[in-house]
Amino acid sequence: MLRFNMAAPAESTDASLTVATGQSATVLSAENVPLQYSLLLDHLIGDKRQIKDLNPTVMGALPSPRKTQEEKMIERGMESCAFKSLIACVGGFVLGGAFGVFTAGIDSNVGLDPKDPLRTPTAREVLRDMGQRGMSYAKNFAIVGAMFSCTECIIESHRGKSDWKNAVYSGCVTGGAIGFRAGLKAGVLGCGGFAAFSAAIEYYLR
Amino acid sequence: MDPMKAQQLAAELEVEMMADMYNRMTSACHKKCVPPHYKEAELSKGEAVCLDRCVAKYLDLHERLGRKLTELSVQDEEVMRKAAAGTG
Repeated sequence: MLRFNMAAPAESTDASLTVATGQSATVLSAENVPLQYSLLLDHLIGDKRQIKDLNPTVMGALPSPRKTQEEKMIERGMESCAFKSLIACVGGFVLGGAFGVFTAGIDSNVGLDPKDPLRTPTAREVLRDMGQRGMSYAKNFAIVGAMFSCTECIIESHRGKSDWKNAVYSGCVTGGAIGFRAGLKAGVLGCGGFAAFSAAIEYYLR
Repeated sequence: MDPMKAQQLAAELEVEMMADMYNRMTSACHKKCVPPHYKEAELSKGEAVCLDRCVAKYLDLHERLGRKLTELSVQDEEVMRKAAAGTG
């Protein structure tokens, strides 16, 4: 196998030059001609290299069918931050709706008319109130879920790592953004609380 | 050494060089980007992003170092040629 005899650079002394010349003269090649490395390198890694269709199977990976362009596009779309936050939004909406309806079911003053609190509300009024509460919870959960998922995905893409800190940071951002509308102190409290909640969930999941 | 011979030699060496580069790159980027504690089979988003960046940097490095090596090799050959012309 050929050895890369990189001789000393131009500022070397005469002694090492003669050694280098001697070495390159004895390098083995096909027809006992000294190799001109710069020419070889130009063809290997320089401008004169051939355009090759690099297949991982040839280079040492396991043989596997190539992915088509559509497959790659779909995979890229499904891994994107926008898709993930959309999924979280829809999931949050459904979960919030269920939670809201359930809470309305165990709440005693659903459907009560504020002008006449002693009158028993009709079934239609109760159902309408339950629906409204369910919708309000659903919207809130959807927004929180989308924000958390979006920030977590962005932070993870930026850091390039996937560990528990991503959830904590994005929990702080989400909680802070929600609480900030009610003032700075509420924002800080929201950040801390949500971050602690995220940390607990991550600890449980990992 | 004429360019045709250089091209033939390069064609022979290229497959081995590419395979070696691929294996080293896989090993290096795996060590950098995928922590050894596996919780699931799929690559997470952070790991995928890290791998993209790692491969891009590795190939960029490969290209730059190759160019620098070719430059040094050209200088070196000129020096040797002058020395050979001086003594011969």
